[in-house]
Amino acid sequence: MRYAILVLAAPYSHQASHSALRFAHAVLARGHQLDSVFFYHDGVCNAARLAAPPQDEPQLLDGWMNLSAEHDVALQVCIAAALRRGLMDEREAARHGKSGHSVEPPFELVGLGQLVDLGLGCDRLITFGT
Amino acid sequence: MPYLEEQNGCSTKGDILLVLRHAPHGSSWLREGLDIALVGAAFDRDVSLLFMGEGVLALLSGQQAGALGQKGTHPTLQMLEMYDIDALFVEQRAMERYGLVQEDLILAPQGLEEAGMADLIKHHDLVLTF
Amino acid sequence: MILHVVNQAPDAGRTLEQVLSAMADDDCLLLIEDGVVGAMPTLAALFTALEGRRYVLREDLESRGLLGRQPEGFAIVDIDGFVNLTEEAAKTVSWY
Repeated sequence: MRYAILVLAAPYSHQASHSALRFAHAVLARGHQLDSVFFYHDGVCNAARLAAPPQDEPQLLDGWMNLSAEHDVALQVCIAAALRRGLMDEREAARHGKSGHSVEPPFELVGLGQLVDLGLGCDRLITFGT
Repeated sequence: MPYLEEQNGCSTKGDILLVLRHAPHGSSWLREGLDIALVGAAFDRDVSLLFMGEGVLALLSGQQAGALGQKGTHPTLQMLEMYDIDALFVEQRAMERYGLVQEDLILAPQGLEEAGMADLIKHHDLVLTF
Repeated sequence: MILHVVNQAPDAGRTLEQVLSAMADDDCLLLIEDGVVGAMPTLAALFTALEGRRYVLREDLESRGLLGRQPEGFAIVDIDGFVNLTEEAAKTVSWY
């Protein structure tokens, strides 16, 4: 089956991101295809490239990036929700006259239409909220 | 006043159902949920909205930006018709809980009892709660 | 069958009440994260209508020291079982 995951909660504030990452690996372990993890609402904070949690805590950012690298899972971030929260890639930073960027590949800023496509195009969409 | 009619079921079918469970102003759940509705409709999908629990307060008339200048969600709700989103429902029990009647609301949703809500969820391909 | 996933404890608000009011007779309920608190024996009465249709995630019970306290009637599933439930369900609705 084709799966997609929707993450709506900020990392380290709620369990949701940890649960979603673990669920993602379980989906793959059962032989399914995971098309994308879509980040919306406070979930967009998972894409913050400067996150530096203590070494003895789960490294969520690495976890997402490894998931993408090893299993070809897209990491899609709602651009409107991200910009409101100070999360932008180099292109958006330039467009908004900001001196740094806070999002980089494999995370990609996309429109909400991508979420609609995932929700209706994949066989299953599983949401992890706050 | 359609919401006063006894509803044992609901036969409305569609692509996307958004279950809106949060009141406006206190958080962005409602606004970001409604954004999905607008995008879905712009992508030619059939979108239905169910206002549940505190979510029914989104429809209360007389809302404004107030001292904080937050946009609120009334401008978005006023655009639903333009996007052909006319399948609007409220949880009847929540209306009663808050002592609201049709005249208190800015739109004309249909009231649903429990079985009607279950039917509505069943008859949509993608159901997201916000 | 629709799978409803709840991550909120019964005392956290009206989430659980709202899920239960919107479930059809053949829908299933899975408790995860703080939702697993609902699977404590003294709260069993909340779920009597869901005999055979209620599940709770093992690892979230374990991390909270709650494993072994479940009343009869709750099926304990691991993360693999969670995915399996989403396969069997026509769709999954998350409540938080």
